[in-house]
Amino acid sequence: MAPKLPLHHPVEQSSTASAGGQAAAHPAPPRGLMRWLLTTNHKEIGSLYLIFSLTMFFIGGVFALVVRAELFQPGLQLVQPEFFNQMTTMHGLIMVFGAVMPAFVGLANWMVPLMIGAPDMALPRMNNFSFWLLPVAFTLLLSTLLMPGGGPNFGWTFYAPLSTTFAPPSTTFFILSLHIAGISSILGAINIIATILNLRAPGMRMMDMPLFVWTWLITAFLLIAVMPVLAGAVTMMLMDIHFGTSFFSAAGGGDPVLFQHIFWFFGHPEVYIMILPAFGIVSAIIPTFSRKRLFGYASMVYATASIAFLSLLSSGLTTCSPWACRWPASCSSCTPPC
Amino acid sequence: MVIGVVVFGVMFYSLFRFRHSKGAKAAHFHEHTLVEVIWTAIPLLILVAMAVPATATLKNMYDPSDADLDIMITGQQWRWRYEYLGEEVAFTSNLGTPRETIRGEGERGENYLLEVDEPLVLPVGRKVRFLITAEDVIHSWWVPDLAVKQDTIPGFVNENWVRINEPGIYRGQCAELCGMDHGFMPIVVQAMEGEEFDAWLAERKEASAQDASGVDREWSMDELMARGEQSYNAVCASCHQADGSGNPPAFPALAGNQALMDERERHIETVVNGVSGSAMPAFRNTLSPVEVAAVITYERNAWGNDTGDLVQPAEIAERLAE
Ligand code: HEC
Ligand SMILES: [Cu+2]
Repeated sequence: MAPKLPLHHPVEQSSTASAGGQAAAHPAPPRGLMRWLLTTNHKEIGSLYLIFSLTMFFIGGVFALVVRAELFQPGLQLVQPEFFNQMTTMHGLIMVFGAVMPAFVGLANWMVPLMIGAPDMALPRMNNFSFWLLPVAFTLLLSTLLMPGGGPNFGWTFYAPLSTTFAPPSTTFFILSLHIAGISSILGAINIIATILNLRAPGMRMMDMPLFVWTWLITAFLLIAVMPVLAGAVTMMLMDIHFGTSFFSAAGGGDPVLFQHIFWFFGHPEVYIMILPAFGIVSAIIPTFSRKRLFGYASMVYATASIAFLSLLSSGLTTCSPWACRWPASCSSCTPPC
Repeated sequence: MVIGVVVFGVMFYSLFRFRHSKGAKAAHFHEHTLVEVIWTAIPLLILVAMAVPATATLKNMYDPSDADLDIMITGQQWRWRYEYLGEEVAFTSNLGTPRETIRGEGERGENYLLEVDEPLVLPVGRKVRFLITAEDVIHSWWVPDLAVKQDTIPGFVNENWVRINEPGIYRGQCAELCGMDHGFMPIVVQAMEGEEFDAWLAERKEASAQDASGVDREWSMDELMARGEQSYNAVCASCHQADGSGNPPAFPALAGNQALMDERERHIETVVNGVSGSAMPAFRNTLSPVEVAAVITYERNAWGNDTGDLVQPAEIAERLAE
């Protein structure tokens, strides 16, 4: 371990409750920018996540304002259709991957160690790494707007072949940035699982954990299940664009609908990835302010787990069944209702 | 709305009535397996009860057999092509709203962006089967009042059907983001009485036979330019712009494109067979030989490209026959 980074003693510290420990026990953190670049403190990383998420929320929000301003009146006023499509696409990508998901990882970083009596996250340096991947991913994604031919313009669900054969050249950078954001999510999820399974205060059983911790544990498993599938989908796009494969082109024996199946295997659980931690937050706030225990804690845990399980199944159902529900898969501008 | 009022009503009443400052004490009950089971089972039963009749209807909805008329619908960036199978009638249906109106010059009509140059004409009271596919990207043929919404997948043919009860005009739109002009490829269906429809179809057959005979004769420059301008503005201008300036680098300029003007052969080849792996479609099947010849002649002589070249329909027809 590098001498400047705080040492990590889960067992001794978990009994002294206060995460981060006494200041005297650690060397002073580096000052200025290096402090934030190198921090392994779960609260500081949590704050970084939250600030990043808020920044992305504003950027994605401005894109939405461009969209709404153009739609204020019929006809073309402010922007051309090509740029309009880039705005809707970027708005979706940034809100989903840059605002909502990092916001919940930030809250998990802050709250999970406190709620389970752990001194920090189980893997503090990986925690730092998974955060700092995000600014890289989104700088890359936003920079595509300045590239020749513009940024992604095929909707946040990027259906092939609009996102392959017919996409702007910057799509390759879009793919790379999704890969980086995906790695960040997977690392964050691994960290949360390792923390919850290994660093609970002595005597705290799984069924003693606050519901927010439970919902995040389940969300983390969902993330690990589906982010690699998304990575697979964009890699297949990359191959179709640059290496002459035809995964999504009927001309070469592929199938454009295959993309939708793969995408929604990710996309459907993604809906729950974005809502389960929020359920956990609600289940913490309401009991607190109504000064009573949560009703049916055990069944809430089971319900959350079965939502996650069913979402993995239903992703297959909504896109695979020959007649039912083709429409949710074809709604390209937004998340399907369920 | 009503549900919202009831739910929030009860919530706000409870929040206000039992507030802490009035000394309310929370009742401490939790865990009750029976109610958990009941409020899981009831929605489940409702869902199953709904699924049974819904499945029967869906099976019926997806049975396109025994149709009286087959229509091939092809989605293209950014227009629809309709082919009356076995009748030798086919045409392309383009956005009817002029570009200037979209830009805000001129009055917007009642059917702004929901009007086309040539509607799909269908008979009432007959079962019409749709065979639906796409040239380039995925589109979706959606006419809400006909309850038809079907994705068009390049390389695959989907089926759907309709039996229209009332004559009239039915309007719809492309419902799958398909690129730049996704919002500018509406659908208009004109439903007529059976006899009226038969007369219309016969007339169209006549007209397309006449168009075919136009291939053999020699066309003059003026004729080709007039015809070419019309087709160019309807079909090519969305990508290459009405003034031929394109939108580089995605869509190359045709005006002042010296390399292209020097290569007449490649020019014809590009328009007939498209450029695979790019957005440039092949027009072999979607434009008639007369239209292809006219549009190429137009491109080679408009906007200061004064090459003086003529491309005769016969030349294109010969190439297509190979
Ligand atoms: C959907 C958009 C689109 C439409 C519609 C379209 N084109 Fe193109 N066109 C392109 C693209 C993209 C290219 C560049 C292809 C390449 O080389 O990668 C192109 C290239 C061309 C070229 C070759 C230019 C060069 O310098 O090599 C010609 C000629 C051409 N188009 C003619 C037409 C004609 C004629 C029409 C109408 C009948 C038409 N295009 C309609 C997108 C379109
Ligand atoms: Cu379309």
